[in-house]
Amino acid sequence: MTQFTFVDILTNLLWASRWTVLLSLAAFAGGGLLALGLLFAAIGRARWPGRLARLYVEIFQGTPLLMQLFLAFFGLGLLGIDVSPWLAACAALILWSAAFLVEIWRGCVMAIGRGQWEASAALGMGYAAQMRHVVLPQALRLAVPPTVGFSVQVVKGTALTSIIGFLELTKAGTVLSNASFQPFTVFGLVALIYFALCFPLSVGARRLERKLNVAH
Amino acid sequence: MIHRRSLLVAATLALGFAGNLARADALSNIQSSGTLRVAVPQDFPPFGSVGTDMTPQGYDIDVAKLIAGEMGVDLELVPVTSANRIPYLQTGKVDLVISSMGKNPERDAVIDFSMAYAPFYNGVFAPEDIAIEGPDDLAGKVVGVTRGSIEDLELSEIAPTEATLRRYEDNNGTIQAFLSGQVEAIATGNVVAAAILERNPPQRPEMKFLVKDSPCYIGLNENEPALMEALDAILAAAKTDGRLDAISQQWLGMPLPEGL
Repeated sequence: MTQFTFVDILTNLLWASRWTVLLSLAAFAGGGLLALGLLFAAIGRARWPGRLARLYVEIFQGTPLLMQLFLAFFGLGLLGIDVSPWLAACAALILWSAAFLVEIWRGCVMAIGRGQWEASAALGMGYAAQMRHVVLPQALRLAVPPTVGFSVQVVKGTALTSIIGFLELTKAGTVLSNASFQPFTVFGLVALIYFALCFPLSVGARRLERKLNVAH
Repeated sequence: MIHRRSLLVAATLALGFAGNLARADALSNIQSSGTLRVAVPQDFPPFGSVGTDMTPQGYDIDVAKLIAGEMGVDLELVPVTSANRIPYLQTGKVDLVISSMGKNPERDAVIDFSMAYAPFYNGVFAPEDIAIEGPDDLAGKVVGVTRGSIEDLELSEIAPTEATLRRYEDNNGTIQAFLSGQVEAIATGNVVAAAILERNPPQRPEMKFLVKDSPCYIGLNENEPALMEALDAILAAAKTDGRLDAISQQWLGMPLPEGL
């Protein structure tokens, strides 16, 4: 049996967490862009784009991420389309996080009082100008805490990609604890690394919140 | 509308057909690509686990190396779990599954198996002071088992309804549940129990009764006679000239049983 030292375990875990970091970044950046597009469909006045955005959110929030990953990787494979694990994981995580981000942001826009809309209309602003100068800047302030809160969820959500063969942090922990028979050391370190990834996000959010000085 | 639907059906069929064509003859595909892609376990010592540099090692990995060497192609190891190894094969993401896989009718219906390459039997294991002699004694007990494994499928049939089966995602979960006392007994393979014993844990698993003798087979896609023939020839040769026996000695610490 191979003997693992503490340093072996730690370096292997840190090396595996690069996937956790990369997947989180891809999911958050891609999901954010997609959510922004969906947001304008969701809050716009046109009826059909709004309905489609709502349907999208219902589908991706209403099904487990694990199943979405499985379908993206094996489902397309069954149809003869070869998808790489990286592409399948990114696509599934982006689609999934967009569904949550668009709901979070829609809520923030909805929270802007009716009076703001009416006042800006009274000043002769059109829809685009109202959005640009009145509604979105206020919504942005509101959006910071829940968005960062969700990004922490995304970091932890990447653990599910091990189902399609990613050796990310959680999976590396499982594999290592199986080979080293030191589960408490291994999973203790896994937890600490996740904490080290997520804690700065929370601290950053608190700072940003104070800086933007939310009025509510 | 009908028109559109039939178009859709045609497209789906074409896609499925293209998928089948792509792996029409797996053996010549392997030879032309120069790479053998094999699904191996990485959380199942001594069949497949990792070394200190995270490279896969174990019985299954050595068998994969042997086969790739005989075929004269490069080897690509794809780590899988017991839950996703068959999808990997069916979707053409690997050519072979060498993942300490036992044969059962459900699996046999969807994939093919080579001849056996490793000994394996499943039993229910528990510490000495727990009295279990047969499946009926499991009533009222909490038994840990790895989800989707042969022992899970078998035990689900023979265990009485009063027994609680706790299913874990991988062998590690099952082992940890046993070591931490969350389950009183586990259903697992002889080699897993041996690997636990080697670590001298406070809870020493003892074999209580045999669930199933299920040697390991190499899994391949259906209707691949050429690949099947090549595999069986390589395995038969490795059995006679002692190379498989050497792998068994190294990882299981016992000779290859007669008649495997």
